[in-house]
Amino acid sequence: MQMIEVNGIKKYYKVAKRDKGITSSVKHLFHRNYQVKKAVDDISFSIKKGEIVGFIGPNGAGKSTTIKMLSGILYPDEGKLQINGYIPYKQRKQYVKNIGVVFGQKSQLHWDLPLIESFELMKYIYKIPQNLYEENLEKFTKLLDMENFINQPVRQLSLGQRMRGDIVAALLHSPEIVFFDEPTIGLDVVAKEKIREFIKYMNETEQTTIIFTTHDMQDIEKVCDRLIIIDEGKKIYDGTIDGIKNKYANSKTIEILLENGEKEVKTFDINKTPMNEVMEGLFSKYHIKDISICEPEIDEIIRDIYEGRVALKTTDGKVGEI
Amino acid sequence: MGEIKIAAQSLRMSIHTRMQYRVDSLVATLAVFVREATNIIVIYLALMKFDKINGWNVNEMLFLFSLLFLTYAFVVSLFADLRDFSCMIREGRFDRLMLRPRGLLFQLILNNADIIASIGHGTLGICLFLISANKVGITWDIPTILYYISAIIGGVLIQGGMFILFSALSFYFVETNSIREIFYWNMRKFAGYPISIYNKLIQTLMMYVVPFAFVNYFPAQYLLRKEDMADYNEMYMYIAPCVGVVIYLTAYGFWRISVKRYKSTGN
Repeated sequence: MQMIEVNGIKKYYKVAKRDKGITSSVKHLFHRNYQVKKAVDDISFSIKKGEIVGFIGPNGAGKSTTIKMLSGILYPDEGKLQINGYIPYKQRKQYVKNIGVVFGQKSQLHWDLPLIESFELMKYIYKIPQNLYEENLEKFTKLLDMENFINQPVRQLSLGQRMRGDIVAALLHSPEIVFFDEPTIGLDVVAKEKIREFIKYMNETEQTTIIFTTHDMQDIEKVCDRLIIIDEGKKIYDGTIDGIKNKYANSKTIEILLENGEKEVKTFDINKTPMNEVMEGLFSKYHIKDISICEPEIDEIIRDIYEGRVALKTTDGKVGEI
Repeated sequence: MGEIKIAAQSLRMSIHTRMQYRVDSLVATLAVFVREATNIIVIYLALMKFDKINGWNVNEMLFLFSLLFLTYAFVVSLFADLRDFSCMIREGRFDRLMLRPRGLLFQLILNNADIIASIGHGTLGICLFLISANKVGITWDIPTILYYISAIIGGVLIQGGMFILFSALSFYFVETNSIREIFYWNMRKFAGYPISIYNKLIQTLMMYVVPFAFVNYFPAQYLLRKEDMADYNEMYMYIAPCVGVVIYLTAYGFWRISVKRYKSTGN
């Protein structure tokens, strides 16, 4: 069953164009030239129930806009969107009963009050039955290790603690779909790990469908089965993480230890020079004691993609799917 | 039922928040009270010299003022989020409301109560009412009390409706504070006096554009029957409580249309 069905959605923003200088500022008051910015430009994908999908892209790529359309905050200017049987922006109230949204950069907790007060409010807003509320609260606080700060005012919590509070607040009503928008931003390694484990647990035990945006590739590698990359409003990759490594990890780094104890590091593009030639060249040139071949890190691949060094489009112009 | 529980929890949270800063809350409430009371005292002293303004004596003027403060006390406890709505949009807090399975206006109305302003204005309103109510010749029988209560409700709805209208404008322009400043806060200053003292333009504005006249002047006229009422259609005294309902419903309709235009702010 397809849980999320996205078909060619587009979102445009009108941006007032203005030139420098006083005269143009005055002109700007009376007449404005608008420029259309395509925040999301024809994105399609579908996600099955229980999938866990990482959503990445450079800043300004259209991730947040996409998440906002998926969660019903924004309507798409064009295209079709159906999630869990609903059209989010049309059937908002019905639709949001079954989703949870965590914004890493925007807390929904009451700053001056203990976490538990915000949770209580969620109980009434989502009409969560008392037994389910208690069960979830107990389970989540245990899993996220929150027992000792649940009664502290939010303003006294660390960022990691606050984020855990936000996650619980968004999940108390047992939503079937959860959107995490940069949930690990600014957190330390331990806090990140805790949140990753929790997200994975929710996906495995409750079959929760999860969409996850982040800039941390570790998040994606550890949590997600599937990766969608968008850039400049377009989807440029949709597939597994291994898939992207195999397909786009063109450069290999070779470290060689010479017999005289010196070390050499070489990087090759295996599309240009096949490994066979590389090795032959190396053997004929050096006396080699040891050799190690390193796969490029996913971080590097993504960086290459963002910087346009690796084109994800295949020759016939289609988006590469694996 | 569920709605009442949300309202109760929200109110509890608003009070609980304020109670964390007890001294600050007390001082702030007092500040609101003193700020507003100062204006009244100035008018009071001036009236001691002039005796009457267009036939209204001091106590009648205080009664007129009391309606303004009492209604405003309810307005800020219900419509505080709409008063600060452009700020809410800018900070992206409105997005969060859209993610909850409840009506947007319902959430805005219940979400935040400006308890400090409410108590400050409310206390002053009650004081003015207590000082003046027995000295202005009103017989407080059942129909009068019923009229009075519905006039208060009407006054709250008029001002709440105006806040909703201004908030809905935020969907078209990001910044709407100056419109609100001109039309709400400045007009409200006029409303402290009988509108018959103003020129035609201001009277028209007060009756048909920013209808503060129906918040306090016409309800007070119903109860006091001053001579300057002869300048206006007598109907206005009777329909005053209904004006609020009409304005509120109009504002609600405009809100429903406008909210569809919502474009969220960036990350």
